[in-house]
Amino acid sequence: MDVIPSLDLLGGNIVRLLRGDFANVTTYGDPETVLDSLDVPRGSRLHVVDLEASRSGYPVETNIVQRLATRGLHIQAGGGIRSLDDARTWIDAGAEKVVIGTVAADAPEVLRTIVEDLGEDRVIAAIDVRDGIVRVGGWERDAKSSLAEVLRRVEELGIGEALITDISKDGAMRGPSFALYRSLRTNLRIIASGGVSAISDVVSLGRIANVSGCVIGRALLDGRIRLAEARARVATTNAIPERVIPCLDVRDGRVVKGVNFVDIRDAGDPVECAMIYEHAGADELVILDISATDANRNTALETVRRVSESLFIPLTVGGGVRTIEDFRALLRAGADRVAINTAALRNPQLIADCAREFGVQAVVLSCDAKRTGDHFEAMVRSGKESSGVDAVEWCRRAEELGTGEILLTSVDRDGTNSGYDIELLRAVTGVVKIGVIASGGAGSVEHFRDAIESGGARAVLAASLFHDRRLSIGDVKHFLANEGIPVR
Amino acid sequence: MKTTLIDSPVANVANIARALRTAGAELEVTSDPIAIANAEKLVLPGVGSFIAAMHWLTTNGIDDAIRDAVKRGTTLLGVCVGHQLLFDISHEMGSTRGLGLVNGEVRKFDGILPVPQIGWNRVAARGPLFEGVEDGIFYFVNSYAAVNAPDETASADYGGPFTAAVQRDRVFGVQFHPEKSSAAGLRVLRNFIAWT
Repeated sequence: MDVIPSLDLLGGNIVRLLRGDFANVTTYGDPETVLDSLDVPRGSRLHVVDLEASRSGYPVETNIVQRLATRGLHIQAGGGIRSLDDARTWIDAGAEKVVIGTVAADAPEVLRTIVEDLGEDRVIAAIDVRDGIVRVGGWERDAKSSLAEVLRRVEELGIGEALITDISKDGAMRGPSFALYRSLRTNLRIIASGGVSAISDVVSLGRIANVSGCVIGRALLDGRIRLAEARARVATTNAIPERVIPCLDVRDGRVVKGVNFVDIRDAGDPVECAMIYEHAGADELVILDISATDANRNTALETVRRVSESLFIPLTVGGGVRTIEDFRALLRAGADRVAINTAALRNPQLIADCAREFGVQAVVLSCDAKRTGDHFEAMVRSGKESSGVDAVEWCRRAEELGTGEILLTSVDRDGTNSGYDIELLRAVTGVVKIGVIASGGAGSVEHFRDAIESGGARAVLAASLFHDRRLSIGDVKHFLANEGIPVR
Repeated sequence: MKTTLIDSPVANVANIARALRTAGAELEVTSDPIAIANAEKLVLPGVGSFIAAMHWLTTNGIDDAIRDAVKRGTTLLGVCVGHQLLFDISHEMGSTRGLGLVNGEVRKFDGILPVPQIGWNRVAARGPLFEGVEDGIFYFVNSYAAVNAPDETASADYGGPFTAAVQRDRVFGVQFHPEKSSAAGLRVLRNFIAWT
């Protein structure tokens, strides 16, 4: 999939409008300076939109396209192209393709003239959609045709590419409409636009069958997405599987299930469970010792030893880790990674100390987050007590200190089977580079997909759902694979 | 045929030993240079720092014991940092010479993606070690790797291609952890044990 930087031009500068409002402009500077700061390499596709032209109906910023074409960029230019003359003006200025919106939706005869004159390879049909309805004319009125009709007409003209922008989300940083793109039935190569605000959005779009490109504007300009990193992630997206992780909550050497962290019942022998899960395709196992106190520390270590001796997949263990010595004891007992929670919130240096002593790969931050007003708060003591620390900021800080991955549990969703907290996941995955394991709320196969696709999680964890056999690991992996998400 | 696992303090020997036994090895675990030099089949594990691992080999005469064994025709498998030790040189904080049993150099990932790599990754492999798992998915934990090594038999991609396995005559190396790679990892170990 092509990752295409998108620049909006106004008055000789790169700008962004919030929700298409000319009264709400952010200016980023002149095009050359902006391109240099974004590290856009030669040979890249570049999407430019002449905002003044889209308002007035006449090409304005052709000299910018002329200048940028000399940098070896493949430019696709758009903005208010309503006639063959407009389209020719952009091609003459050095654009490789023109992006045509209003007439593609409203005036197919003009579009046909442009395609016949320039050739179908030089035309991209741009279609703005809000709540499933095609919008034209600066987004201010509904088009005459349905989305399906517009797509069919574009395809019949021989055009190969369509840029589909979900304008209800454009610039609002809430993520693209994956469901819209997945629902399209067309042979067109689709370029997705709107709402791409994190690298995981780019990766997720790349997994949808007929999406062949995505344009990124504000997230690049704001530094939320680095172009090279996004392209590297897209290139490896099918090689690196997303992980499905069963979690064993253990108390006194037995597996139990927690509903909202209280009301616990027994559910089996940890060694037996672990072996069943590896055989079923678990990519990793997490053991959380929810009763960890000094008194039963040795019982916990013995459980870890027994489970690790029966497993050939990575084992992460957490619960009651207070000191570097607790950490070391769990690694010696056979854990590959150790999760720290309350102790790290009270003493963040513990993360750095463990990373230095045992390596970043051994350290997992376990963060229990709870909605408090308009933000998420990190909780301590198994989600029972507030720490006063912002959960998203805490995860970002833990990455700096040296944690290899974050196990992010929504205290609100845990045990509810109502789905992972996507907003929480997006808030964290948008600010850290390391992997995030989604935890709390899984109830259906779609929930696992959403945590990865929309939430940006690199792994999905569930406990009772698997213990009670309402879903198997195989069910989850089969569904994810069908949705284009790579699994092992 | 007996398999000799080098008992290194800078490796997770217990896990590898368990995996080798599960894969059918008749196992000897030792750090005695004489036993190593006379081994029929050798496994060199390693985690953490290349420099620390190489230092342990040289100060205990195990580097020469391994070279002697290979010269006599012993089959050798290096795992993770043990795989990296097979190369000519590693550029981990300066440059350190390795055992020089396979050609190439070990370098840090360029940092486009998070380092270390922690997780499963699909390889494209060939050769006797990968029979039945030529496009297997294996578990990696590494910040360093060789790139396009001349003796490469498996490659993977992590922000760019890297060497996931090598073979030169009777010397094999795998960058991933077969002991953490479930059935695919055990298959590689079984193939190693069966290979003559």
